[in-house]
Amino acid sequence: MVAATRGLDRGRVTAASVDEAFAQDLRDFVRVQQDAQLDYFSDGLLRWQDIFRPLVEAAPGLAAHRLVRWFDNNAFFRAPQPRGSLTAIAAPDAIVPDGIVPRPRVATLPSPYLFSRAAVGVKDRNAFMLELAQSVLRPAVERLFQEGCELVQLQEPWLPYFGIADGDWAPFKEALAATRGDAGARIVLSLYFGDAGPHLPRLKRLPVDALGIDLVETDVAELGSGWEMGLVAGCLNGRSSLLESLDETVDLIRHLAASVRPTTLYVSSNSDLELLPTAVAEKKVLLLGEAARRAKERVAA
Amino acid sequence: MKALLTHEVGSLDKPGWRVKAFAGKPLAEADYEEARHWGERLQVPDYPKLVELLRQSPLNREQKHEVQRWSSRYAVRLLESAGLDVVYDGEQQRTEMYDWTVKHSLGFEARGSVRAFDNKYYTKAAVTGPPGLRAPFHNDEFQYVKSVAGAELKVPATGAYTIADWSFDERYGKPTDLRRAAAERRAERKAGRRAFVLDVARKIIRPNIEALLDLGAGWIQVDEPGASTEPDELSLFAESFNATVEGLPATFSTHLCFSDYRLFFPAIEAMSACRQFAVGFANYDSRELGTSPANRPGYQVIAKFRDLPYAPILGLGVLDIHTDFIEPPELVRDRILYAVDVFDDPNRIHVTPDCGLRTRSWEVAYTKLRNMVAGVQLAKKELRLN
Repeated sequence: MVAATRGLDRGRVTAASVDEAFAQDLRDFVRVQQDAQLDYFSDGLLRWQDIFRPLVEAAPGLAAHRLVRWFDNNAFFRAPQPRGSLTAIAAPDAIVPDGIVPRPRVATLPSPYLFSRAAVGVKDRNAFMLELAQSVLRPAVERLFQEGCELVQLQEPWLPYFGIADGDWAPFKEALAATRGDAGARIVLSLYFGDAGPHLPRLKRLPVDALGIDLVETDVAELGSGWEMGLVAGCLNGRSSLLESLDETVDLIRHLAASVRPTTLYVSSNSDLELLPTAVAEKKVLLLGEAARRAKERVAA
Repeated sequence: MKALLTHEVGSLDKPGWRVKAFAGKPLAEADYEEARHWGERLQVPDYPKLVELLRQSPLNREQKHEVQRWSSRYAVRLLESAGLDVVYDGEQQRTEMYDWTVKHSLGFEARGSVRAFDNKYYTKAAVTGPPGLRAPFHNDEFQYVKSVAGAELKVPATGAYTIADWSFDERYGKPTDLRRAAAERRAERKAGRRAFVLDVARKIIRPNIEALLDLGAGWIQVDEPGASTEPDELSLFAESFNATVEGLPATFSTHLCFSDYRLFFPAIEAMSACRQFAVGFANYDSRELGTSPANRPGYQVIAKFRDLPYAPILGLGVLDIHTDFIEPPELVRDRILYAVDVFDDPNRIHVTPDCGLRTRSWEVAYTKLRNMVAGVQLAKKELRLN
């Protein structure tokens, strides 16, 4: 896929060759998830050039603007920029997993807070956040649910990395409620690249079904106990090529199940795996599946 | 250095004939024509010999090396023909700024490709052993470029912080039990990063630069596009620059791009051996003409560079390298005039693209550079510097 897209940019290969390269990579990624016996399947967002792009390209009121660093990584996204008023979009085909992705599926979208803060040329970010939620994200969640995505992860690195002002919590809550709508998908707010610990009391009051917590950055001790919502435990480092210890990961999962006691415990990487080469990412997916399986066995025993 | 001196930043795209010939792939008639067209247009001496060489493909190892050198020669001529004061070879003999350095260093192993932006990827390596210099890796290139260039040379060399930041760390840090306190794990990670960055500076980048100086290189540009990746490590970036160049007899500059440049202050106050900062601004600027602050939003931070205690020159990025938009000379002029007004000294302003132009075709890169030089002439006229 890397070679194919590079070749296409330089006019050295055809679009059909690129499509075939993507299809092959997707088949490989699905196989790895099946081998790992994961509970939810993703399409890996292989065609997404950044977390905003398919949505921005589908929305007449948005444009992909200048390159901006993706937090503290050597990766860049094109900042969304409003271009006139936002009207409700039909969710684009580009966000729907290909038919070969098994069900149940997990989908990924930007959180409205991230989306509104990463944009440029915005005067009232909270008003823009609500507009995005209503006009762009809700249609996307509804379409994804219809397509078998029972779980929708809203990516939210901005909040733990840069923080959030007191006055922004209420608009954020409203935007999340607007995003989830009535579709029926379970919504996860994934907080990564920063310490979510200081925000947890307020995060737990948001209208989502689970919180994704980056445990590389957040102290396990800060999670507390007796959660009345789900926890997506970010147990594997999506920015490190080193493989975690299987035993320590299993022990961590058991510790979380026993101490945090969320309504549902999901285990995952701390962030998505796009910052890792494919071979390393595949090993982490397999490790994740194995760790979850062993943890379940021990809990059952 | 003269007022409003012009130079490139580093890379140019590699021509199709160079890529295919080096990879052993068949060349098409369009590739020969491309070599002929640019050879004639840039008045590359003896260029028909390149076309003859390409027609012998598939090429043996020595012939492939010869094609790389031709590519260098073409790139030097492109930059000279565009009218730049200081040139190099568009890094035609290197694979890529990161890959070339780690492949010629000890202690690294390739791990695979990761996306940088859009559909652009780079091959990322991991440090797995003690970093070291396998052998000086810019010497052959420098000697060749020196032999064919008429203009003054500036050698781009990737900096230590960027090399470390773009690598996985499998040596200085280890995965740890996530049940341990996060603050403790974070402190260990930062200590490992510092040791890694400074090892790269002292054991790879500095000795490689020393070898270049032995061959007569006079100006080294330390490329640090990764410098501001971790905002709490700006002091480490400055420390690594100093560890790389301190006490060496040459002109040293650094290149920064695609960052929130405010983050660099005050950390870079410590980089007193840096005579010039080449910084990309056009990507953040308006395309409207005018020299008022309102017209030039992308350049609001430049006063901070002006106020550095050691009074470095600012290499003013005036060409957006991520778009085919051709900046008119008048837009370049106005960006320069704004900067000269802020600095109140044209001798402290050089004029450059935002970054290397390798993502643009030669046609676009050449036209942009020619307009940049034309814009400098307009600015000089306005400032009565001719």
